[in-house]
Amino acid sequence: MIGNDIVDLALAKKESNWKRTGFLEKIFTSKEQVLISNSENPEIMVWNLWSRKEAAYKIYNRQTGIRGYIPIQLECNYENADSGSVHCNGNIYYTKTEITKEKISTIAVSQKSDLKEIKELKSTVEIHKKNGIPYINDINNASKPVSISHHGRFISRVSIID
Amino acid sequence: MNREETLEQLKEIIKPYTNNELAFDNFTADTDFIADLNINSANLVDIILDVEDAFKIHIDNESMEKMLDVKSTLEIIETKLSEK
Repeated sequence: MIGNDIVDLALAKKESNWKRTGFLEKIFTSKEQVLISNSENPEIMVWNLWSRKEAAYKIYNRQTGIRGYIPIQLECNYENADSGSVHCNGNIYYTKTEITKEKISTIAVSQKSDLKEIKELKSTVEIHKKNGIPYINDINNASKPVSISHHGRFISRVSIID
Repeated sequence: MNREETLEQLKEIIKPYTNNELAFDNFTADTDFIADLNINSANLVDIILDVEDAFKIHIDNESMEKMLDVKSTLEIIETKLSEK
């Protein structure tokens, strides 16, 4: 299983005021709030952790069929700026994050070894949706899970290599 | 406050976060914040904080989980208001 998320940092600055009273408390656990306040660049840490939660939620939603606004239940285990895991109601998702000046993108997988097996889909690949969840039909016409994220200037469509 | 008034006030709160004007014009109880209005999920927390301020209520995590559409949000606001 795979999930991804992209944050366009310029758009995030425009759309969200993470310093707003109550904002961090509603979406981050106390442990995550400590990570943010101790970070050299709190803004980057906010979106880094957020993109991990979003990517992990996409797998959780696909696996369980549960839809909900549950950022606090998706708890980040932050190893370093690029990697870690997200825990949610007994499930573990492994994450890989990439930070550039313009964007933060995270890929989450349910099997750790899959982090080495990620491919970006060509723009010609047609994506279908069932109950809002995206998939593609592979060469054997079997449906295969994919994940799409679009924010501001950036889009990413990924799947696990067969 | 009746349901109509609550709905109107909620609509005003949601407006600035909406990314789909057409769906917003057709706003009903069934409107979904993400699927219909294309609201960025990071902005859902702003809606929750705005709702808390506007109605002077506290939204706990359990209620927050369900706040993905107009209907559930209205129900939560009404429940919290009745508990006051």
